[in-house]
Amino acid sequence: MTALDSLSLTPHAFENLGIDSQTSLADTALRLAQKSGASYADIRIGRNQDESAYAREDKLQYFNSTFSAGFGVRVLLDGSWGFAGSRIVSETEVARATAEAVENAKAARLLQTRPIELEDIPAYRDRWIMPVAQDPFTVPVEEKAAKLLGINAAALKAGADFCNSQLWIVREEKLFASSRGSSIHQSRVRIWPMFTVTAIDKQTGKFATRASLLPARQAGWEYAAAYDGEAEAALAAEQAREKLAAKSVEPGVYDVVIDPANLYLTIHESVGHSTELDRALGWEADFAGTSFVLPEMLDGLQFGSPLMTVTADRSQEGGLATIGWDDDGVRGTEAEFPIVENGIFRNYQMALGQAQLIGRHRSNGCAYANSPTAFPIQRMPNISLQPGADGTTLADLIAGVDRGVFISGSGSWSIDQQRDNFQFGGQVFWEIRNGKLGPMLRDVAYQARTVPFWNSLDGIGGRDTYELHGAFTCGKAQPIQIAPVGHGAVPARFRGISILNTERKDI
Amino acid sequence: MMLSPDEVKAITSTIIARSGAEACTVSVWGGDSRNFRFAGNEATTNGAVSSISVSIESSFGKRAGSATVNSLDEAALEQARLRSEEIARLSPENPEHMPPLGAQTYEPEGARYDAGTAYTQASGLAHAAASAIAAGRNYEVGIAGFIEAECGFRALANSAGLFAYDRGSSAELTVTARHTKRAWSGWAGASQNRFPALDPVGLGERAVGKALFPGETADLDPGVYTVILEPAATADLVQRLAYSMAARSADEGRSFLSKPGGGTKLGERLLDEAVTITSDPGSQDAPDTLFGPDGVPKRRTVWIERGVAKTMSYSRFWAQKMGCEPVPFAFNLSMAGGTVPIEDMIREVKRGILVTRLWYVNVVDPRTLLCTGMTRDGNFLIENGKITRPALNLRFNESPLSALSKIEAMGPAERPGGGWGMVSAPPLLIPAFAFSSRSSGI
Repeated sequence: MTALDSLSLTPHAFENLGIDSQTSLADTALRLAQKSGASYADIRIGRNQDESAYAREDKLQYFNSTFSAGFGVRVLLDGSWGFAGSRIVSETEVARATAEAVENAKAARLLQTRPIELEDIPAYRDRWIMPVAQDPFTVPVEEKAAKLLGINAAALKAGADFCNSQLWIVREEKLFASSRGSSIHQSRVRIWPMFTVTAIDKQTGKFATRASLLPARQAGWEYAAAYDGEAEAALAAEQAREKLAAKSVEPGVYDVVIDPANLYLTIHESVGHSTELDRALGWEADFAGTSFVLPEMLDGLQFGSPLMTVTADRSQEGGLATIGWDDDGVRGTEAEFPIVENGIFRNYQMALGQAQLIGRHRSNGCAYANSPTAFPIQRMPNISLQPGADGTTLADLIAGVDRGVFISGSGSWSIDQQRDNFQFGGQVFWEIRNGKLGPMLRDVAYQARTVPFWNSLDGIGGRDTYELHGAFTCGKAQPIQIAPVGHGAVPARFRGISILNTERKDI
Repeated sequence: MMLSPDEVKAITSTIIARSGAEACTVSVWGGDSRNFRFAGNEATTNGAVSSISVSIESSFGKRAGSATVNSLDEAALEQARLRSEEIARLSPENPEHMPPLGAQTYEPEGARYDAGTAYTQASGLAHAAASAIAAGRNYEVGIAGFIEAECGFRALANSAGLFAYDRGSSAELTVTARHTKRAWSGWAGASQNRFPALDPVGLGERAVGKALFPGETADLDPGVYTVILEPAATADLVQRLAYSMAARSADEGRSFLSKPGGGTKLGERLLDEAVTITSDPGSQDAPDTLFGPDGVPKRRTVWIERGVAKTMSYSRFWAQKMGCEPVPFAFNLSMAGGTVPIEDMIREVKRGILVTRLWYVNVVDPRTLLCTGMTRDGNFLIENGKITRPALNLRFNESPLSALSKIEAMGPAERPGGGWGMVSAPPLLIPAFAFSSRSSGI
């Protein structure tokens, strides 16, 4: 038996949960739900495979392989939702959970003065399987360990005191079936190699870190194989060391140029979350929050400068939210729309049962459930800042700044519950003086409010500067659900941004 | 699904008996939960979820690997065992890998599990939610919230003879009332191990009271203010502090507990004398779990005593290296409270801010524990000993090390819920807390 054979061994129950038995289980759930009087029902049956590995300096400390399965049944009964799920996937458990979903729907009626109504969406019987050049789950443990240990060794050799690296691979496979006749089978794979180096100045007690900038991607092992992690780790070690001696930023108002590895997260937090319709409707008020973007602002709010166009999609190759259909069974092509077009707010992201509440017709394909046992809610598709029409380069953007800061990589982040006031750090910062990059800076965070920030945008990179990034673990809802989201971005320049110095000398 | 110790043993003993590795550790965990969400006085989503997982770690000398499945199917478990052994064989040696721990003695189950709470019916949860919503019935408020009852177990068995089993139940209700005519909101929440201990009417009334508080909203200049932190806000800061108390980071020079030139600040007074933070499986207000990830028993642990850093968490490896006993990380914490009611604290404040809860708190600088975050859902201006009006939310940049270094009064501790982990914390009167910018976010 070769290593490869043995690692491709899948648990019996997982393997037996092929598409035919999934379809049969789905039929059972939908039949029982309809028999109980449900006007609508759907089921997601999922099989996930994930691998995570963690290395610290020259030691592989952890390597785990997980196979998980599960399902969730959702029923709409007399205008109330009921949902139940389980990790045990069997005929009896599907029947038990369907009865639980019905019980929840009946109990929810007490809290339902306005019945939930759903729009019509087309039914599909189809499949969407993401092409993967090299299935990461068939790559031997040794090769994965060598990748991480190679990164750590390069960082230590280049002067880091510590380096930890991680690899996270997920295969998400699911069947969606609904009482409207849909049956959609989908599969996708995402991968994220990452590391953090630390440099320490023992005398002063100061330390600095620099995390990798490589984005998480929907891709196979070829993405990790092509990544020169050792080169980035060596650079990161040098930069972490340089940070220790770097000039502490003078707080004040600066022009800033932000690279895509930082800006994607600002797009995520300030544009992605603020334009989620469930938040605007107040449905997330108790935890994730609401939004400053109100429905009456559609087609009117000057969200940003005319250079700002942010679009949604589920089709970018490698995007963490790229898929054929969303978890309501709405086709991914519905999720191709502008959110902000030349600075004007155009569209919310919507899931099933929301569009009619703001006078629109139907969902634009923005539902996701982070596991088959979770209720699908509105989540971001890929949301990307579009390049400018001309061929502006990063150097051009920097050349237009007399006194400013260039910010690279995402650091500490925080934004209020209506997505107005935010503060973001970064990984590395440089001074900009008279149109040129100067020395490195440290202790930098930028603080702004969403609409003034995006309206201060006055320079944007061209198509050649576009990079696809993404958030692997965006959190929302109660119980919290973690979602992967892709964000394309170009470098951009913002005028008159408040920069804080985050060093506390008194502690 | 819940499994009893005997049911778990039947699974783990089979796997361990079949193990082809030099050492084998099996973890089994699972549970049942049910929740309802509501917003704008209406039901939104809900769920009833049953889960089970089995994780097998196999090792050959210093080579280890693990495989996890969520199935109790014998063939699935057998294949997971084989997969873990294969990963272990192929992995490079980890000099820090520790052999499995032998049999241990654990603290008694304590107050964490309540059978009734574990199986709260859907109608019970919906009625509690309806009671919270009813608190706003005659007022211009929309109520959003989350109610959940759940139970779970976690067990660990290994080839060195260790068997550990722990279970818990919890019930949580959080309520946010949003004024429908003007931009203001209020929050209240509670987390308990027993469902009947929740007070849905009281929580609803507290949230509604905050949302309806009259007066024109003050737009305060950022700056340093006297603050009264309600328990939810205190708990957020306590977590940032206590979750950063790992010995290894401190010894390696990359923690707030590291000293310039080497060594740690253990034994040093870092906070106000009023601050004592403990974790304890026998605690009544925030009982901790019975054992750490590798089966090390948890005992009552004093992390901060009268402002002095007393204990850091040690993994088994780091404890061995440093020549001390391992101390598992504590997820559930208690900060000891005082006796001063919030109303009395308010009377002592000439000008300050009452903070209901914090939001999106992240550490900006791990060396100083400088955190940034927002106030949320019930920020009020206090003038001359009285709450005079709502105050717009502010962003803070403040470290728990400075915020908790001077405390003028403390009230009784409670477990507010709405966050991560179970933390019991008191309301605090703090003379100086730094806010750095405004927000329109309500």
